[in-house]
Amino acid sequence: MNITLVAGPPGSGKTTWISQFLSHSERPSERPLFYLCPAAGKEAIDRLRIGYRFPKVKVIDDAQAAEVLLNLFDPAQVYVEVGFHLDLASLPFNSLPCRKVAVVPSEVVQASERTNQQWSKWHDWADELVVGNTVHPPEANYLPELWRVSLTGQVFDPPSLDTVLTEMTGGAYGRVIRLKGVFEMPDGQAWYIDFAEGLPGIEYTELKLPLSLKGRPTRMGGLEMVGYSLQQPTMAETLQAACLSDELLVQYQRQYRQHYKTTNTVNNTQENVA
Amino acid sequence: MKLAVISCIHGNAEALDAVLSDIDKQKVEEIYCLGDLVGYGPYPNEVVEKVRSLEIPSCQGCWDEDIVDGLNACECSYPSQLAEHRGRIAHEWTDREIYPKVRAYLATLPLTLKKENLCFVHGSPNSQHEYLLPSMDGFAALERVLSVDADVLFCGHTHVPYERKLENATLSVKVGAVESGEFSQQFRVPLKRIINAGSVGEPRHGRPNATYVVYDTDTAKVTLREVEYNYQKTCQAIIDKGLPSIFAWRLAQGMEFAERADDPTHVCER
Repeated sequence: MNITLVAGPPGSGKTTWISQFLSHSERPSERPLFYLCPAAGKEAIDRLRIGYRFPKVKVIDDAQAAEVLLNLFDPAQVYVEVGFHLDLASLPFNSLPCRKVAVVPSEVVQASERTNQQWSKWHDWADELVVGNTVHPPEANYLPELWRVSLTGQVFDPPSLDTVLTEMTGGAYGRVIRLKGVFEMPDGQAWYIDFAEGLPGIEYTELKLPLSLKGRPTRMGGLEMVGYSLQQPTMAETLQAACLSDELLVQYQRQYRQHYKTTNTVNNTQENVA
Repeated sequence: MKLAVISCIHGNAEALDAVLSDIDKQKVEEIYCLGDLVGYGPYPNEVVEKVRSLEIPSCQGCWDEDIVDGLNACECSYPSQLAEHRGRIAHEWTDREIYPKVRAYLATLPLTLKKENLCFVHGSPNSQHEYLLPSMDGFAALERVLSVDADVLFCGHTHVPYERKLENATLSVKVGAVESGEFSQQFRVPLKRIINAGSVGEPRHGRPNATYVVYDTDTAKVTLREVEYNYQKTCQAIIDKGLPSIFAWRLAQGMEFAERADDPTHVCER
């Protein structure tokens, strides 16, 4: 069994760092892959992102974690993503034989090389520092808020979602240092959307899941945000105003089903398209 | 003679006052207004009262029309569901706040104003809802100017000021006749211009500053004016008067309250 704990500030690239190993790993039948994201809730965006992108990786929730970890056999590879809000010193995983990696901005790595001092909490904890995105780690005495909202079943009006995201990341509802989410669109696709303060723009990635064009999608979606003075009720209200009503959703889905039929679009796996 | 042309004030009295002070310094003889006196902003009555008391000739804008006739535009007016939702909130708020005499005044505003070879409209001569964008097809743009028999067409509505020269236009007409066969005739059209005055109260050029234009009828020179004003005061009034606080944030960013419609040339069929 091989356990890798991955920690780092919000937006440093923890999930991306893990993803590169998952995409290059050997066949899961020979070397089962597991992913955990403790204390992040069942609809944690990282969990959804890994699960949607790597269907062969077993994404474990907190309730199953102990049982799965205790029953793992040797070639299994486990990645544990440690959210910034968890106290590194008191992680239950620390007692297991594992590799501890911190994905941190290059200044953090360089600072220690220059001064030869282990000065951040990442240095105290990690076996290995990996250079990630240039983000500003939150100060220890001024920890940001974490806001999570489930969006399962909601389908967005695309231009409205663009407006909401531009406003959120531009600071209209408080200072956002990290935003990520999985959003359903009226054409049946789902998108992963990612923003980190200090990095350019908002990144949109199509998840290439089976099209969902018959009623409200049942797969999970949601939004997670890290920031300061977040106006949560106003943001929730604005998101709601960007979601399609039942009536509009029916209209859009009918149009897209027709469109896919007439253009002979090859759908991913098409049980959900009439 | 110099004219000042202002447009799209949207209940922003602070911006209007700043623009009127700036106009004072430009030695203009007349001021024309292209409508949208109300909508989104916190001072619709005050803006209308000021324009009326100064006897500034004004066209009726699409927001003024909605306050007179009710919100009956088709959904084309908005680029997104969220913009429509916010537009509705702004309309309902303005509709509650507006004084009866102000509503009655807005109802009297004409769709088009003319002064010799100059014509003034809100959106286009076709409709207060049509956007004359600088990228519009040249033939269509020329048709709009010719339709009102003008050399210079002043418009607003897009909130982004521009001057467009329609030069060297040649129109060819082919006529088929039974006896004489087909013949064609060509018309040369003298220089025509479209001048967009931008927006006083709701700019969308990335800065919160108000914009308007000064036009010299003798030299045909167009001067775009960008005027700083205390937009924070307007932002505070938006919040104090119970309008959505996102309007204040967007105003401070130089973003329109609602973006332009997806198909700006679509003409709303009420």
